[in-house]
Formats: sequence, C-alpha cells, structure tokens
Amino acid sequence: MSGALVFLLLPLAPLGVTAQQPVAGRLSGHVDASVIAAVSALADSAAARGLPIDPLVEKAIEGGAKAAPSERIVAAVQAVFARLGRAQQALQTVTTQPTTPDVIAAGAFALSAGLQDAHVQDVARACGTRYSVDEALRVAGTLTALGVPPEETVALVRQTLRSGAKERDVLALPGRLQAELARGATPAQAAAGLARAAAARANAPAQSGGPPRVPPTSRRP
Amino acid sequence: MTRAFHPLVKRFLDGELRLADLPTELHAEARLAERLLGAVDRAPVTLSGLESRVMAEVRRRATAPRRWWQRLGDPWEIRVRLRPWILAPALAAAAALVLFLTRSQPTAGPVAVAAPESVFVRFVLYAPGAHRVSVAGSFNQWDATAAPLARSGAAGVWTATVAVPVGQHQYAFLVDGRHWVSDPGAPTVDDGFGRRNSIVSVAAAGARAL
Amino acid sequence: MGTLTDGEVVRAVLAGNIEEYAELVGRYRDRYARFAARMLGSADAAEDAVQDAFIRAFEQLRQCRDPDNFAGWFFLILRNRCLAERRRTARTGSSTDAAAVPAAEQADGPVVQQERRRALQQALLELTPEQREVFVLKHVEDLSYEEIAGRLGASIPSLKMRMHRAYDRLRERLKDVL
Repeated sequence: MSGALVFLLLPLAPLGVTAQQPVAGRLSGHVDASVIAAVSALADSAAARGLPIDPLVEKAIEGGAKAAPSERIVAAVQAVFARLGRAQQALQTVTTQPTTPDVIAAGAFALSAGLQDAHVQDVARACGTRYSVDEALRVAGTLTALGVPPEETVALVRQTLRSGAKERDVLALPGRLQAELARGATPAQAAAGLARAAAARANAPAQSGGPPRVPPTSRRP
Repeated sequence: MTRAFHPLVKRFLDGELRLADLPTELHAEARLAERLLGAVDRAPVTLSGLESRVMAEVRRRATAPRRWWQRLGDPWEIRVRLRPWILAPALAAAAALVLFLTRSQPTAGPVAVAAPESVFVRFVLYAPGAHRVSVAGSFNQWDATAAPLARSGAAGVWTATVAVPVGQHQYAFLVDGRHWVSDPGAPTVDDGFGRRNSIVSVAAAGARAL
Repeated sequence: MGTLTDGEVVRAVLAGNIEEYAELVGRYRDRYARFAARMLGSADAAEDAVQDAFIRAFEQLRQCRDPDNFAGWFFLILRNRCLAERRRTARTGSSTDAAAVPAAEQADGPVVQQERRRALQQALLELTPEQREVFVLKHVEDLSYEEIAGRLGASIPSLKMRMHRAYDRLRERLKDVL
C-alpha cells in the first residue's frame, strides 16, 4: 500500500495532555494508599528531572489490575523510574535531537526489553538528525523482545538506517523479522539476514519496485 | 535440482509456440510442460451468499453513524490462520494477534484531525478450556472488564476487536479472571510482576509494525 | 430495458442509490472468486477476501477515478487484499493448505490428475506472490501478457521473467507427480 507512513507516538492519548492531573486521582481505586503515596513521590521526582510520568502511573495501574502485592507494585514502579533515569542520562550525552519525554520513554522501553545503556546510545547515534530517535528505540526494543541479541539488534538498526531506509522500512523491521522466524530462522540468524539485505540495498542501484527479498539464511552467497 | 525448462519450452508454455514448432528432442520436455499446465485448476469458484453478506454490511455502513476513528480510515481486516505452534497442546496457549490497517489514502471528506488516531485491532486467543477471556493493556488502563473476548465460530477460539490508539502498547489476556497469558509469538517484555507482557505497535496510515 | 454500464451503476450508488451496488457484486463476484481461490489456496480464504474487497470498494467508491473501469479498479483492491493475507499467514506444513484446496469435481477422473492438481495448488502457494499472480492470471484467468501488464502496471519483460521462474520452480516441486 502506498502513502506516507506516520508513526505517531502519542502518550496514552488524553492523559499526556492532562499530566497535571494529580497522580493520586489517576491511581485512586486502582491501588491502595501506600502505593499511591510512593508513586506520587516518584512522580514528583520524575517531573522535577524532566522524566515522563505516565509510564510510572501505567505500571502502577497495571500492578493493581494484576492484583500484585503493594510492595511489588512499588518495586516495579521504582524499576521503571530507574530505567527512565538511565535512558535520560544515556541519551542526553549522545543525541543531537532533543531528549523529550517521549524519547526518554522509548529509551526506557528499550532498556526494559534487554538492551543496555550503550546499545541505546548506539541506536540514538545512528539516527543522526534524520531519523526519529524514539521510533528507532522502540523498534530496537521490539526486536530484542523478539529474541534478537542486543548486539545484533543494534547492528540491524544501524545497517537499516545507513542504507538510507525510509521511516516505514525501519518500522517494518519487527514484522519482517517475525516472518523470518516463522520460516524457522533463529532471531540472530533472521536479524543477520535482514542486515545483509539492507547492506545489499545500500550497494545496489534503485530497485525495480517491490520490497527486497531477504535471502534465505541457508543459501550460500 | 531439476533442470530448468528450455527457453523454447518456456515460450511453448507461454502459448507463443506450438508443439510442432519445437525440435523433436524437446518434445518430451514439452509434454511434461503440458502435464504441468493440465494440472491447473480452472474450475470456476462459486461464492454463494456473498451478495447478501456484502449488501448487509454495505447497508449497515451507509446508515450507521460514523465514529470518529472510522472517519479517519476504514479498518482493513486481515484474518490470519492460527500459527501452528499454537495448536500444540498447551492449556493457556495464546494466539496470533491480527491488526487492522487503516487506509493509506487520505479520505475525500472531512477528517477529524483533532482526535488522536486509532486502529482497530483484533485480538485472537486459542483457549479451549476457558470460560471467560478478556484482553487488558495500556490502551484500556489494564481494565480486565473493558474488552471481553467472545467465542468465535472455530472451536476454542476467542476474539475481540478493540480500537487501539496509535503508538506502542503492552497487553495480556486474562483467562477466567485468574490467569494472565501473553502471546508466545509476539515480542514480550518482563512486566515486573513475574510475568511477561506482549507488545503491539500500531502505526497510522497503511502498515503495521510489531 | 438495457443493462446499465458499470459506470452508470457506480454513479447511481454514489448518488445515494445504495442497493444498486448489489448489481456490481453480482457481476464480478464469481469472476474474481477463482483468482482469489488460486492465490490463497482455499475457497474459504477466497470468500473472505472477495467479501472484504467488495466492502472496501464500496467504502472507497468515491475514489474510483474511472467508474466505467470498476472491474479493473476492483481487481486491484482484491489483489492487495490477497497479497496482504499471504504476508500474514505463516507457512504452515503442506497438509493444512493441501486439505483446504478445493480440487475440481473429478468423480470419474484419474487419481493421478487429482494428485497433480493438488500438488500444483500447493506449489503455487510456495511461489512468491508476484510469480503466483502472473501464473494465475495467465493460466487460470487466460489473460494475455498485454492484458496482465495493463492490469498490474508492470512491463511485459518483467512479467515473463517472473513467469519463467515460476515455471521452473513448479517443475521442481512437481517432479514426482508429472
């Protein structure tokens, strides 16, 4: 299908705008008072540091829905807070694009999927000024969540960006990886195959239409 | 690896040459080619009842008030066969996630640009022993009652269609009010509560990501 | 009373006469059912695809630039729908698809012919969508390369290249039954 692909990373839509709505109000009825107190305090810290608050609130609500014990909920929210902080630290030193709350949240997601701070930085660097860092980080996190080892994830995203891919090609990576997994490739093999295809695309002149075929992993060059 | 067809036999297959135009040493291959084409199923396929189903849907769409997310793009329903590993015996095996795509072309009429875009997502779970199934995630405040799945036609299959805002979300299925189940085929992350959440990313205008 | 042209029916529907759409469905329902069945491997899948395509065509009817060529425009919608379906279907083992393929009624035909038919349909599903499409359009729908080129907007040399590759792959896959 043709047409521009727009990947809008809206924070949980209406909530982002009303982040000023007190955390307590949003959590009331979902978790008990001790959790509300703890999360409110974390949210204040987050706000002071320019970190997004929604991921904290969402994790608390999730914990309440899953009937987790209060201490566990607080621990989980603290873990989210820690990842947000790490992502902010890692990204601020690297990217030339502004480290917005969305970018930080995307970085935290990538960390939660299993990437390390250095990988997050590598992905951000690879974006330069042309590619959306939060999209690239979310794609990278998704690839790792599919089982691709972090190093291979970074290599694939980097190679794709380097080959001059469009936004939609980056966004298509998890789906294409999934297709290769369905054919029996391991995540690492699939990622390597897609990276080779991207490299080949970078070297070849303009394609005659249609997405490039990923070479089967068993084929000899 | 079988030999490729001779170029002349390929033209024979294309209908550009007749058998008599081919040198005799290619006749055997040409007959094999004929058997290949002879195996093509040209039988007409009749779809009875299609007209009434289409018209029923057409009438419904022509008269129903259009929700804001429908004005932005009509869902492209993709039905996916359950992946084979799901049919392996596993009590709470989760199933494929199917995404609706929005149309890629902008609509000719007015577009509700103020509202954030949503995409219809169809959730499918294979849980033959379940009595109740719902899907909860960051798109519905993890409310286990907001999106109940209903039994579909096929045995053991539960489905629900949910309008999911564009963006990335985490979700899981709740079976019988007790068991949280994630999708083994989808990317998953640790939820911080000893389980894993599935991830769905929905993009506007034309394609799905994972 | 003469039959309305496709263009006239389209314009009638757009003017608000929704029931006229049934005329278009009736005209093209079976013509494209076979294409979808061969592309997707089963009548069930074809039914879903054709139904969805008609509904989408109705929703997008205003964007049909040449109402007198509703058939060609509809074909592209159906084609996209078929391509989208195959992209999302994992390659299951051959048993599932083979069982779903409706072999033509051959109560008195040789078993061998039945086997070949089934094998060919299965092999078709293993081609790339582009290869399968040109093969089905030419050898099931009996279109010429010129007609196929016109429908798909592809060049004849590129179509032939896909087709010839398809021939070889089919030969390989069917070598035990031909």
